[in-house]
Amino acid sequence: MIVPYGHVIVLAGMIFAVGLVCMVARRNLIMLLVGVEIMMNGAAIAFVGAALRWQLLTGQVFVLFLIGVAAAEVSVGLVLIVAAYGKTGSLDPDAYNILKW
Amino acid sequence: MISALTPEPTLLITAVALSLPFLSFSVISVVTRSHPRLSAGISVGAVAVSLMAVLWLVVLNRHTGHPIAYTGRWIVAGEIHIRFGFLLDPTSLLMLTLVALISCLVQIYSLGYMAGDPGFSRYYAFQSLFAWAMMNLSVSSSLLQLYVFWELVGLSSYLLIGFWYEKFSASQAGKKAFVMTRLGDTAFLIGLFLLLIHFGNLDIQALNNVGAAARMSPWLMTVSALLLFGGIVGKSAQFPLLTWLPDAMEGPTPVSALLHSATMVAAGVFLFLRLFPFFSQSESAMTVFLYVGTITMLMASTMAMVQRDIKQVLAYSTISQLGFMIMALAAGGTFAGAFHLTTHAAFKALLFLCAGVWIHHYGTNDLFHIGRRGGRGAAIPMACLIVGAGGLAGLPPLSGFFSKEAIMATLAELHNPVWVWAGLTGAFLTAYYAFRMVFIILFPGETESVLRKEGDTGPSGSLAAAHKRTHDHVMHWPLIILAGITLVLGFFEEPLNLFLLTRQGLHGGGAVPHSGVAYGSMALVFVGVAVAWFEFGRKGSPRVGFVERVPFLKALFSNRWYLDRFYSKMVKTILDRTFSRLSAENERLAINGSLDLFARFIVAAGRFLSFLQSGILRYNLMILFAAVTVLILFFWIG
Repeated sequence: MIVPYGHVIVLAGMIFAVGLVCMVARRNLIMLLVGVEIMMNGAAIAFVGAALRWQLLTGQVFVLFLIGVAAAEVSVGLVLIVAAYGKTGSLDPDAYNILKW
Repeated sequence: MISALTPEPTLLITAVALSLPFLSFSVISVVTRSHPRLSAGISVGAVAVSLMAVLWLVVLNRHTGHPIAYTGRWIVAGEIHIRFGFLLDPTSLLMLTLVALISCLVQIYSLGYMAGDPGFSRYYAFQSLFAWAMMNLSVSSSLLQLYVFWELVGLSSYLLIGFWYEKFSASQAGKKAFVMTRLGDTAFLIGLFLLLIHFGNLDIQALNNVGAAARMSPWLMTVSALLLFGGIVGKSAQFPLLTWLPDAMEGPTPVSALLHSATMVAAGVFLFLRLFPFFSQSESAMTVFLYVGTITMLMASTMAMVQRDIKQVLAYSTISQLGFMIMALAAGGTFAGAFHLTTHAAFKALLFLCAGVWIHHYGTNDLFHIGRRGGRGAAIPMACLIVGAGGLAGLPPLSGFFSKEAIMATLAELHNPVWVWAGLTGAFLTAYYAFRMVFIILFPGETESVLRKEGDTGPSGSLAAAHKRTHDHVMHWPLIILAGITLVLGFFEEPLNLFLLTRQGLHGGGAVPHSGVAYGSMALVFVGVAVAWFEFGRKGSPRVGFVERVPFLKALFSNRWYLDRFYSKMVKTILDRTFSRLSAENERLAINGSLDLFARFIVAAGRFLSFLQSGILRYNLMILFAAVTVLILFFWIG
């Protein structure tokens, strides 16, 4: 392995943090979804790095599943956003305080 | 990655030839999209340099007996190794030359045909994409690599058929072509998996190695051969999947000349040729191929006999000639098939490009209209059309004659005389419909007034008329070159045979002259031409074909043997009535019902739990992550 595993983990953590900030700080539902995607990719990088580190294919297989899950998540998420936008006319997550009735 | 590290000239030239069209595709689609002339220049220049490189390659390797392979590892997973690279042998060199030459000529021709079209740059980008994919397909060293480029070729076909996407019929035709070829390709892919699992290797050379492939059981061999043949059926428009090709004529005519007659549809035949030693190990599969080829050949030529649209006639004749090639290969005549593939590419591209000249001028595809508006006045296309039709029909000094005779000789060697009779019938029908087309244009009977001709606009509008003269020049040269090739190619049968036979494992198929069959087919060709002349050529001729007088046959042939109707009915009953109804019921009862129940439970639970949180999403998330971080820290440190 040319790149040390620790560096891969750090990179994965950084990407995860970027996604986290994106999710928490942005005031847009679509950016929320984007944040989830970025976090998933961070996790995927960690998986691939681990697969290379321990020479096991399982990690790569997990990443394939992760990609599938991410695609499904985006499609479902977008549908939910469209439905929610139709209902309230706003994309700001703070507008959805009806969670507390 | 490449095994040979020293830059050998062959490798270098191949790499240049194979990457230039892709470069031009990227440059056109990213940078020069808004400069049509520059895009066309880049595309034509790239393909011309590729052509030079390919010709150089052929000259360098003309005496090489053994195939040259440059490969590197591509996919390694456990026991499975798939390689990526070039495999240069006589077959791939022949195909490479063909593709580069015809791509180059067609791109030059398109300068005139597509002039003034709003999508000029897009057109050249797609043409470059096609040239790249097709050339790479020809030299692929493993079947998986070939499959990738096979699909890329299919994609560029889809893009170019639907090039005038504002036209509903064009976008529909593109979709149909895509879906129907995909049906075949699915079988192809399943075949690839089967081979990968049971043979463990997709290298073309390994598959063609007779001893190694014998490890598979005969039953498995037949099944995988049939599945791979599914891809050929789709791509080369053979019997069950042949109706996409006539519809593909919605694309611009140069596209029909390049993709849907000369090169792309021949990719199926090329694959058959490439894997011939593999396929020929399964007797029963070869018999199936022979049946498929024969049925296609006869069916398509009957359809060609009643069409009024010049491009449709040519499309059906393409299907029929591809059927001929499949027949020849399935009968064991590798050289006959390869030779017919070569000659057919030249004369069919020629015929399409001739038709394109008239379509460009008169704005109609109808044979009778072209004739009445003075189609024969255009001397160069008319002469070239006659040469091309002579090649298609197989008149003696032209290239089609030699290749057709080679096929007939192969068929005559089979034990069952049915095949050679089918071939002879096909030769007669071919001669008839080819010269029906020629005579309708050449002897129009009465002519329409010239005024109507002025009023019409070509596919690219009145702009075409303004620059007619310069376009003629640019459109005529490719015609003349192709006509020259059609005239002389037949005399290169022996050198070509020697060139191809040097390949290991590709034995036999030397055209042994069988005098009875040879004279018989020649006589039938002349009879076909004479019948066409009697019905469409001579003064006071009825101008109605003998098939068209029988209403039943006419309806059957012009409706494509009701194949399309059958397919749409199948789709309706199987997909619409059965599957979609089943899934609708399933959705209503099982999915919706259970989900509703689940959702009701969740809602109730949420109502109960919601008093725990603030109701603002971002705070909830932040608390969630903070809690998780604290937990992680707790377990890590503690």
